[in-house]
Amino acid sequence: MSNFFQLVRNEQTKLYSQLATWIMLGILIVVVLGFAIIMRTADSFIGEYNDATWKQELQEQSADIAEYDPTAPEIMINNYRIENDMKPEGTTAWEFLYQGNFMTSVLSLLTIIVAGGIIANEYRWGTIKLLLIRPATRTKIFFAKYASVLLFALTALIVLFVFSWLFGMLFFGLGGDGTTLQVQDGEVVEISIWTRIAQDYGLQLVKLVVWATFAFMISAALRNGALAIGTAIFLMFVGSSVTMFISDKPFAKYVLFSNLDLTQFTTGYKIIEDLTLTFSVVTITVYYLIFLIIGWVLFTKRDVAGH
Amino acid sequence: MTEPAMQLIGLKKQIGSKLIVKGLDFDIQPGEVFGFLGPNGAGKTTTIRMMVGLIRISEGDVRIQGKSIKTDYKEAIRHVGAIVENPELYGFMSGYKNLLVFSRMIPGISKERIDEVVKLVGLEKRIHQKVKRYSLGMRQRLGIAQALLHNPSILILDEPTNGLDPSGIREIRQYIRRLAEQENVAVIVSSHLLSEMELMCDRIGILKNGELISIQQIQNAEEDTPSEVVQINCPAAHHEKAQRLLQEEFGVTAMASGEKLTFPITREEIPSIIKALALADVEMYGVAVERKTLEDKFLHVIGENVIE
Repeated sequence: MSNFFQLVRNEQTKLYSQLATWIMLGILIVVVLGFAIIMRTADSFIGEYNDATWKQELQEQSADIAEYDPTAPEIMINNYRIENDMKPEGTTAWEFLYQGNFMTSVLSLLTIIVAGGIIANEYRWGTIKLLLIRPATRTKIFFAKYASVLLFALTALIVLFVFSWLFGMLFFGLGGDGTTLQVQDGEVVEISIWTRIAQDYGLQLVKLVVWATFAFMISAALRNGALAIGTAIFLMFVGSSVTMFISDKPFAKYVLFSNLDLTQFTTGYKIIEDLTLTFSVVTITVYYLIFLIIGWVLFTKRDVAGH
Repeated sequence: MTEPAMQLIGLKKQIGSKLIVKGLDFDIQPGEVFGFLGPNGAGKTTTIRMMVGLIRISEGDVRIQGKSIKTDYKEAIRHVGAIVENPELYGFMSGYKNLLVFSRMIPGISKERIDEVVKLVGLEKRIHQKVKRYSLGMRQRLGIAQALLHNPSILILDEPTNGLDPSGIREIRQYIRRLAEQENVAVIVSSHLLSEMELMCDRIGILKNGELISIQQIQNAEEDTPSEVVQINCPAAHHEKAQRLLQEEFGVTAMASGEKLTFPITREEIPSIIKALALADVEMYGVAVERKTLEDKFLHVIGENVIE
């Protein structure tokens, strides 16, 4: 076990010795900063609602939203606020933090780049030969590298959180009582802001882990980093369009893309009607395990021949 | 006789329907420098890759200190240090960090051992520089350093002098000899440079089309065997006189062909022969000394270099 820990440590040493890794984390911070600036300077930015007119403002907002989506959950929340006399806080660091959950797609991108390179690069550099002739089995090396990818994702997530929080505080200030409103099963409920953040980020991370594992599989199986990164990013971005395209086919529910967007179970907006959360979780797990097993088998069995 | 450091037992590699390595059987003893010689495509690299488990063995086995690389991989590979083909290391890290990373993969390597190995290969001054700034010679040294970290009893070096300048080659040769003689390490080197191999190896296995066609023992230089071939260019009219003189005074039979006389002789005798021939008024237009090298033997056994 200590041996495995050392292998993971080695992978982290190698990863953070590369300038590219630091540049990627830098990009992530720049994206957060950019988003904060955009949100702060946007027309719809409201720092604080006026005590006298906030109900009216919310009604106007609802009317605007209703023009393109009369069933939007925001309208229900606004109505709930007006009925219960709960003045909204305006944008706070909290809100910025969970609004920023879409930035996990940047995170996914970076993780895919790391996952796609971590094995393929060893082949490209020729160092795979030195790596594999040590008293550590290929299986151990494979999983140490995989663990290292997940560790990178976690590190990048922490960076994303810390800087979102930091810029959120700087641009919007801390406010609110740590709760937020959300529509659940057609009812407006009050939930802890942490629950909301965990939910939003958590569901995005499922996607991240699946595509990173996919990239890792290609990297291990075909030893080609560009191919691994390219296909994983491509599939990640076309995923939802593919779901639309095939939604009326009988096999659609077994396709990974249809299941991967777990937010469909919190928002209730499903493309394929008969999907359930359990079914999706099981399907995703099956695909995930298949990716890992293919990568693992090919990595451990294939000869390391010359170029 | 001690246990061999490495045994190859009926080692075969088949890719598709083609046999790349056709059954190799030999032992390598501790303290021996064993050369693996063969033209390109003979199966040297494939064999070396099988020895270290990078390529799977189709049939047969490799035993390292009695442990099978197939079934007891971790125990077997523990004794092996190797550079397979080029010394490719992590260019974005310093030489020291490279060694540190490799040391963590094998339990029980101290920081002191790293420093010791760095000193051994003479990289102290540059070890904290990034490897991408290293010259090929420095990389080769760092490659040897990583192979020696865990005190292996078998060192495998694939083309160790590739790309080195003459002084670098000599230094590597000296390391290899020292490791074999003082630390009793079995060293396996592969090369297609015959003269190189002759200088550093005790035994040379010649590989051709995946078969071991000969194992040559390299003789010591001091041995008193005719190692030189002398060719004298003189008019045919003088041949008989010269041949008689050589036969009577030195006991050498010279072959005549065209205007040339050719005969084998030890190095020490060459000056006195030239003197004797000159004194006997043999007209000589040229004297050429050829070393009867491994190359001759090699080309003799290998025949024409045909890759099947």
